[in-house]
Amino acid sequence: MSSLSVNGQARVPPGFRFHPTEEELLNYYLRKKVACEKIDLDVIRDVDLNKLEPWDIQEKCRIGSTPQNDWYFFSHKDKKYPTGTRTNRATAAGFWKATGRDKVIYTNFKRIGMRKTLVFYKGRAPHGQKSDWIMHEYRLEDHSADQINSQSNIGAAGGVESAQEDGWVVCRVFKKKNHHKAIDSPNNSSSVTSGDVMNGGAGQMVQYSSTSNGGDGALDQILQYMGRTCKQEKEPSSNKGLRFDGREMLADTSTTTAHERFMQLPPLESPCSTVVVPPAGSIQHGGRYAAPDHVQIGHYSENINIINPLSIPYGSDDQAAGTHHQHHLHHHHLGDWATLDRLVASHLNGGEEAAETSKQLASCFNGDPSFSSFCSAASDSEIPFPSHLIRSSINNHNDELADLWTFARPASSSSDHFPSCTTQTPLPN
Amino acid sequence: MGDDNVNLPPGFRFYPTDQELVVHFLYRKAARLPCHPDFIPDLNMDKFDPWDLEGKALAGDNQWYFFSRRSESHTSPSGYWKSMGADEPVSCDNNLVGVKKSLVFHIGEHPVGTKTNWVMDEYHLLEGATSSRSSRRGGTRKSASREWVLCRVYDRSNGGGDSGGFYDDGAELSCLDEVFLSLDDLDEISLPN
Repeated sequence: MSSLSVNGQARVPPGFRFHPTEEELLNYYLRKKVACEKIDLDVIRDVDLNKLEPWDIQEKCRIGSTPQNDWYFFSHKDKKYPTGTRTNRATAAGFWKATGRDKVIYTNFKRIGMRKTLVFYKGRAPHGQKSDWIMHEYRLEDHSADQINSQSNIGAAGGVESAQEDGWVVCRVFKKKNHHKAIDSPNNSSSVTSGDVMNGGAGQMVQYSSTSNGGDGALDQILQYMGRTCKQEKEPSSNKGLRFDGREMLADTSTTTAHERFMQLPPLESPCSTVVVPPAGSIQHGGRYAAPDHVQIGHYSENINIINPLSIPYGSDDQAAGTHHQHHLHHHHLGDWATLDRLVASHLNGGEEAAETSKQLASCFNGDPSFSSFCSAASDSEIPFPSHLIRSSINNHNDELADLWTFARPASSSSDHFPSCTTQTPLPN
Repeated sequence: MGDDNVNLPPGFRFYPTDQELVVHFLYRKAARLPCHPDFIPDLNMDKFDPWDLEGKALAGDNQWYFFSRRSESHTSPSGYWKSMGADEPVSCDNNLVGVKKSLVFHIGEHPVGTKTNWVMDEYHLLEGATSSRSSRRGGTRKSASREWVLCRVYDRSNGGGDSGGFYDDGAELSCLDEVFLSLDDLDEISLPN
């Protein structure tokens, strides 16, 4: 201990940054805060979120004089309405809006808290203008978020949530970088092969693989996002709960506005041709890589299964399962994306057909408890979610998501459901 | 080493900028100014393979920091360091204060060794950067500023490096969050209900 004695003012030696892990934030800082214990070095300040614009946070939450990329503060959640459970996150200039699904934070396989991601919008809802300011709001463990495993507990969970609602949270605010766009822009993408990513693009690799925070299956999250109707923090608007109801996914893939990665969709081809894997997609979940440059579609299911030992228990049946999977890929030749679009459109417009798909979809998931929430969500939706399409497109183009799809597969015996589902579904040519 | 030496609460990590490395550490080292806290050790880079640095160099998030006398050969017991790319200038308040050279470790005999994922950033002071001060302390002027280098070694397949630690662990949006964010955009296109 040298020059670090502190009297109220944080003095940090050169080169050191406050960059706590999520575990440190929750288990050390937030726990101490909640227990009203003293925290050495007053590094995390209390902030009234409603009175502080994101661009003022940097000044308010500065630690020493070192440059910072993110800022931390404690905030006391303030109810929007006296009787409700929703949190008021509006400021004078705008509001913080939640996005995605809350993430469970684990330490040594034990859940210690939850993370909510919020985006700052300037203006007033619903006409706010999205900014690059992102907030991760951490709260200590609440069991209510475990809706997937215990759907029956949702009622009780709501009570827990409201009890926790007006507690302390610790927040990390940062400005979103736009490097994804830079890397994925059409000009760049053609020259950056996955090989480059592996050899020279360490930076890119880190960015993409940073999503692979083990065990938190992306597809799992998407599925839960689809089934957001049972999310604890319900939004009153009608289409909020099911924003993934197919229409938007359609918009996603066909208009290619949503995520830059979708801009690089290779042609949907027959299985004997090879498909160039887009650079981003070549990163496997968990930091592993697919075959460097080209992936035979026909081999795809093998890839997936190898990567994901959880997905299907290998044995004599596995060959069958793998073959099914291949069948799915072999038999449904979709010439191009236009065809796919028409196909999706026909599903969306043709009510009967759509209803049928919905039923099949539901039957596919029946008996699999982990999907029950999704099913109920899907059957409630006005327009069913053409999952086989999404799946095939994801399989072809996005290793990461495809990989995760298998992760989300039933871990036990019901592995046949998927192939049968897709082969039953009527597909126009 | 590292965080233990400096008694900081949890969450503080050694993530120095290039500028800090040159100005706060290398400059003071070369100028023989006291360095508080003095936690970056001196090592002879020629005597260690990168994987042997653990426990000897200052560790910070899969990166290892140490001072070394400048090496002409850049060889180690198992291989050699080969420079990669162009030198990168390090500035402070618009003044050029140093350069950063990047090197890749190759296993085997020069020049036919096998490339590895081990990377070393070697920080040099610009010539004469410390001359005004050290000249008062004796005749070591120029040689002092050129003698020492500050090295950062990391395995780039292991998440180390410039774009490594700083942004992971949730301080940046995951791809999935980006997708959700994009979906939120679509959300605002109100659909007829």
